[in-house]
Amino acid sequence: MISGLVQILLFQGLGELISRFALPLVPGPVIGLMVLLGYLLVHGSVGASLDLVAATFSQHLGLLFIPAAVGVVMFWPQLQTHALAVVVALVASVVLTIAVTALILKALAGPDSDAR
Amino acid sequence: MRADLPPISEIWVYLSGSPLLALILTLSAYQIGLLVYERLNRNPLVNPVAIAVLIVAVAITLIDMPYAKYFEGAQFVHFLLGTATVSLAVPIYKGFSALSGRMLPLLLALLGGGVISILSAVGLARLLGADAAIVGGLYAKSVTAPIAMGVAERIGASPTLTAVFAVSTGILGAVLGRFVLDFVGVRAWWQRGFAIGVAAHGIGTSRAFSVHPEAGAYSSMAMGMHGIIGALLIPALVSLFR
Repeated sequence: MISGLVQILLFQGLGELISRFALPLVPGPVIGLMVLLGYLLVHGSVGASLDLVAATFSQHLGLLFIPAAVGVVMFWPQLQTHALAVVVALVASVVLTIAVTALILKALAGPDSDAR
Repeated sequence: MRADLPPISEIWVYLSGSPLLALILTLSAYQIGLLVYERLNRNPLVNPVAIAVLIVAVAITLIDMPYAKYFEGAQFVHFLLGTATVSLAVPIYKGFSALSGRMLPLLLALLGGGVISILSAVGLARLLGADAAIVGGLYAKSVTAPIAMGVAERIGASPTLTAVFAVSTGILGAVLGRFVLDFVGVRAWWQRGFAIGVAAHGIGTSRAFSVHPEAGAYSSMAMGMHGIIGALLIPALVSLFR
């Protein structure tokens, strides 16, 4: 478990450095993700320790954004004022996104794609 | 009360001054969220994160703890977001190696869906008079929350609103997805799963896995691709809009 964590932290650090000095618009962790992905593609396999750490993180990803999301208390009055805009934008956007993505895939896959 | 025991208020001052209280609050709220979610058969409407956020928000309001003070303690949890983001490379890698054959159509569908997601949300919110802070929070809402919050920081939007909109979008997509897909007549599991993943990231993906393993695999693939491509393209798109 520890060696996987060390590996991830190193890639995170590398990502932060690249973001800071070369690609300021892309968040450091995302660069770290891409570099790690590149490493895995070249390496061709995932070590057991890395796999365990990654599985633990993805299982409880939700926990990690609770502190930031609780900040919603500060935006409460603003959200109440614009409640209609927020609800309409969120609902319509998710419906359209699902529909458009699915229809593009269906069109590109051709008529046989409903076979399974 | 014996005289040598410290008064309750002193204990309280000590506890609320250390990060421990915020950490206990965050972790136990999440555990309650998970328990409720499991008890109600993983119904997407009772999302564990949404429950936990609600519990913590009510709790800090009741004990009169300013948000900044809470965050000071909870930042240790928050810090791990970046680390967790890097670790997403592993599931994305596994996805890539399992289903690389359909890369081009998947990529095109992702780009189409991603652009529609931003245009419709930002366009409608502006049309209905939402202010700049709220509109800013909508740009990355279909990207998985840890990456979306990083993107929000880079484009000068609120990570908090982005996280809240991302979780809401995930819940909405998980709940509404099947009706939308039935309505547009898309039946193949891989197409259904991918569409849910593009729109509703992690929450949609766990819903997709519970419906069909192929839908789940493609949904998680979509979430990973949207995370990477969103982080690269959303800042550019935002600068175009402004």
